[in-house]
Amino acid sequence: MENAKDSDHSMTKESPPAQAGAESITKQAPPEEQGQLLYHEETIDLGGDEFGSEENETVSEDSNNFADKLNEHMMESVLISDSPNNSEDDVGDLGCLQEVVEPIEGNTDHRLDSNTTEKEEMDVLSNNSETDGDDTPRDVSDMTPDSRASLKEDSTREEVEGTSTLGNAGAEELMPGGESADPEEQGSDLSSSQSSSRDEPVPVCTIFSQSNSAPSQPHLFLHDGFESQMVKSPSFSSASETSAKTPPQVVQPSPSLSKFFGDTINTNSLASDFFDSFTTSTFISVSNPNAGSSVPEKLSSLTAPLGEESPDSADPSYSAGMARSESGVSSASLEIPESPKPFSQIQTVFAGSDDPFATALSMSEMDRRNDAWIPSQGTRGVLISVATQQGSTVFVDKENLTMPGLKFDNIQGDAVKDLMLCFLGEKAAAKRQVLNASSVEQSFLGLKQLISCRNWRAAVDLCGRLLTAHGQGYGKSGLPTSHTADSLQLWFVRLALLVKLGLFQNAEVEFEPFRNLDQPDLYYEYYPHVYPGRRGSMVPFSMRILHAELQQYLGNPQESLDRLHRVKTVCSKILANLEQGLAEDGGPSSVTPESRQASIQLWRSRLGRVLYSMANCLLLMKDYVLAVDAYRAVIRYYPEQEPQLLSGIGRILLQIGDIKTAEKHVFSQYGWEQTAGSACLCMSVLLQANNNAAVCLLYLGKLKDSLRQLEAMVQQDPKHYLHESVLFNLTTMYELESSRSMQKKQSLLEAVAGKEGDSFNTQCLKLA
Amino acid sequence: MEVNPPKQEHLLALKVMRLTKPTLFTNIPVTCEEKDLPGDLFNQLMRDDPSTVHGAEILMLGEMLTLPQNFGNIFLGETFSSYISVHNDSNQVVKDILVKADLQTSSQRLNLSASNAAVAELKPDCCIDDVIHHEVKEIGTHILVCAVSYTTQGGEKMYFRKFFKFQVLKPLDVKTKFYNAESDLSSVTDEVFLEAQIQNITTSPMFMEKVSLEPSIMYNVTELNSVNQAGECVSTFGSRAYLQPMDTRQYLYCLKPKKEFAEKAGIIKGVTVIGKLDIVWKTNLGERGRLQTSQLQRMAPGYGDVRLSLEAIPDTVNLEEPFHITCKITNCSERTMDLVLEMCNTNSIHWCGISGRQLGKLHPSSSLCLALTLLSSVQGLQVCSLFNDFKCIGANL
Repeated sequence: MENAKDSDHSMTKESPPAQAGAESITKQAPPEEQGQLLYHEETIDLGGDEFGSEENETVSEDSNNFADKLNEHMMESVLISDSPNNSEDDVGDLGCLQEVVEPIEGNTDHRLDSNTTEKEEMDVLSNNSETDGDDTPRDVSDMTPDSRASLKEDSTREEVEGTSTLGNAGAEELMPGGESADPEEQGSDLSSSQSSSRDEPVPVCTIFSQSNSAPSQPHLFLHDGFESQMVKSPSFSSASETSAKTPPQVVQPSPSLSKFFGDTINTNSLASDFFDSFTTSTFISVSNPNAGSSVPEKLSSLTAPLGEESPDSADPSYSAGMARSESGVSSASLEIPESPKPFSQIQTVFAGSDDPFATALSMSEMDRRNDAWIPSQGTRGVLISVATQQGSTVFVDKENLTMPGLKFDNIQGDAVKDLMLCFLGEKAAAKRQVLNASSVEQSFLGLKQLISCRNWRAAVDLCGRLLTAHGQGYGKSGLPTSHTADSLQLWFVRLALLVKLGLFQNAEVEFEPFRNLDQPDLYYEYYPHVYPGRRGSMVPFSMRILHAELQQYLGNPQESLDRLHRVKTVCSKILANLEQGLAEDGGPSSVTPESRQASIQLWRSRLGRVLYSMANCLLLMKDYVLAVDAYRAVIRYYPEQEPQLLSGIGRILLQIGDIKTAEKHVFSQYGWEQTAGSACLCMSVLLQANNNAAVCLLYLGKLKDSLRQLEAMVQQDPKHYLHESVLFNLTTMYELESSRSMQKKQSLLEAVAGKEGDSFNTQCLKLA
Repeated sequence: MEVNPPKQEHLLALKVMRLTKPTLFTNIPVTCEEKDLPGDLFNQLMRDDPSTVHGAEILMLGEMLTLPQNFGNIFLGETFSSYISVHNDSNQVVKDILVKADLQTSSQRLNLSASNAAVAELKPDCCIDDVIHHEVKEIGTHILVCAVSYTTQGGEKMYFRKFFKFQVLKPLDVKTKFYNAESDLSSVTDEVFLEAQIQNITTSPMFMEKVSLEPSIMYNVTELNSVNQAGECVSTFGSRAYLQPMDTRQYLYCLKPKKEFAEKAGIIKGVTVIGKLDIVWKTNLGERGRLQTSQLQRMAPGYGDVRLSLEAIPDTVNLEEPFHITCKITNCSERTMDLVLEMCNTNSIHWCGISGRQLGKLHPSSSLCLALTLLSSVQGLQVCSLFNDFKCIGANL
């Protein structure tokens, strides 16, 4: 109640001018009633939050988060009982009302008339009910101009009494207030509050890392300029060392594995480079098995020696330098038969400055195709100087370096379990077992395992651990570091999962150091000794998309569009280059026609992907005309998706209300049939899924049938239909059906607990 | 908050939910490429998600309908629909249940229940469902009053009510402006142009299905909101068939007085009723709204008591050569007039004929055609001064 009141106050502040009447009523109430009255004003006033909630709706539609829309669908009311017990209250009410009467009469001329009619009506009703002889006079008093005020009061008692409605009604009444009071909080829901609570140690850690970095910082700056130039001789000895730690390898060795090992092995003496020396656990980094070409790599050895790094080896001066031995060659793989390359060739890195044949040798076709990117002018300059000034140092401004680090170290948590503890007791909660970051192999494999069983929070956590092992852990943001293709992949996965979890702010904070994803140290050319001959960007293309899309979820769709346009420009340029017979980045090409064709295909599909994102973004911006155009443009790139896209366009038009044009689009998909039900003329178009049929049944007044259909669906295929949209509909109907929806919701919770991972959005159960 | 005398728990529970149109579930597409660390995993997750579009998972707008998440806004002209469910929460059979739903507006009280007959009995865990509809015709506070009366097994009669208050808002802002096409030369047509500015003052886009002008009995209307392009009627608003929040659109109509009224054009004067605008729009998933303006009224340009209009005049005339014009004089007053024609020459225009001649009596609303001859002594356009010289003197009888 305390909270409710608080939030309620803030709510009132937000209430739109339309509410002025209602507010003035409230002001007329005796001071001691004010809290309650305010509270209940909001409660019954369905129209009251219209503007506020509309805003919310937009946001939540965008973020696809139910959090802020959950509790407003039910019309909440105030219960009036005409039992004689009320008489005391009514006396009180009367007093209160008399104060109210005058100003209101003054306000609206109509009020009086309406009230008289109401009075008459009510008399009849109460006579019918015959529960109480006193009814009539009290009804009159109830219905004096602002009966609402008294009604509100009544309902307060109603709630307090904890009648059967309390569970629902109470909860629902509480929520809207809290909701509009703090829409942002809602957006990031439970998890964010968790994470924020976990953020609490932040200051401590920051201090720690600052004190840590303080002495080393000067060093780092000094060495900044030397970074890419330092060359270390390889020490292979570590390979045998690590093999002891290597778990049985499940993944097929692939070129990229060796690539990864090339890195780690070589840097054995540079532990601080990649691995946080404070980490004591033994991580086994297994490289991304998808990263390379399908050609098996003979050189592949397996694990990275992590835990073995002694703290002593953390030499800050090294951490600034990117030192790699030439043995990193193995990374250059290998559709080309002559894979073992003479080291002498590796010197040449940059386009134009080298022998194209050598480049072709040292760069796999596929890598080239995938990693190609056109850097900005400034970045290009830095990369050229790195490539040309072999022996000397290239000074790179710290501003131009990418120095990411974890911004929060643990978002783990299992909201489902928390709810179980709350509603089903400890015993039931104990049965809930989900994988966490520690219960899987500390590798890419474990990561994939977590992702596929929908334990995304744990997966985020594991990404964090692996990144910590790469020296980009908590508090490392802003400290010089070096990047590998794999560290960027880890970042991509972590950020992608944060977005999937709807933790957009968190993703934003961690994305920040990457800026435009165009700093020189994100290019392979920056590390000529680690990735000899390799060109292009280490940033996965999907990460660029994610980077752009993130903004739209944070409410900056314009920024999203800008970023997408930048990506699109590069894609188009690359395609143009390819079509002119050049290499992707505009350099001279030695590419076979087949390879070029494959590259064109890849980049066309990427361009299509960008357009897709643009269309989605425009849709979020509610610029429907442009969105429809953009989806049409997507069809050119993904012709196989034409039917789906056309019907998607149809749905957009349906959303606007342009039913005629929508029909044309959807015709091809569904075939139009007009239902008799007046409520859902247009919905028959979409009456595809059972879910939609169930929704339509509700609109036709068949709540029980609708519930049966949804329940059957969830029981038959819980794997698919324990989806938040279905559960949301189901819980909404439970609430509509009975005051005892709690039990049913709890049984849904049990069902969810058995099937879903920690990424499940518990908001849709509306238990809280 | 103290608990006052314990209230009796009701056996029945009343739940009400506004049936705004459902929304389509949108998902957050996160994809990766084969070569990325998760491999196909992200894409697979999206394929497994039932809310995505099969085969086009990146398409944000899914096909899944979700029930309304909040009360939303309700606008004048829209239909208020609501689900009313009375559920027997108890474990006894309840008899003679009467559910009544009324809507109290600031001016009236409407009964919205589909049937007013009592339900004989309701078993435990059963519902009485009703979906009510009401086209909202008033702005401002509305209160949905739901009353439930029933008899318990013990024969006790029970009764309770619930009140739901909501605000009805104005969806559109309509501004109109009239233009009189009557120039000196167009007295034949008496056309009136109506420009209507319609602004969407809701917070969601609005598809304007129909914006038409229903003319009053005196006028025929031509809509000027489409252009004929290569035999096809193309809306002047282009493909943008909908109105974004706060956007305004201008519609133009041309009104011509019907023959019978045109004859007596002079009598269209003062405040006349032009017609009314009929606006039909649709929003989310076809939610329909319809509004009509009140009768648009136009103040006809004041002609005074006598209206003089030109019926015929040559395009060009030769210098110092007489030419003929035809004038029409209409008595716009309520009284009969006696007219005297006086002709005054200027430097450039000279009348031929006798000044000060009697034109005879002119009755109210009747008109008189007058053929006159004049000549011009100066080259060039001589329009402005022409009729200054022509004085028509009305005299009351």
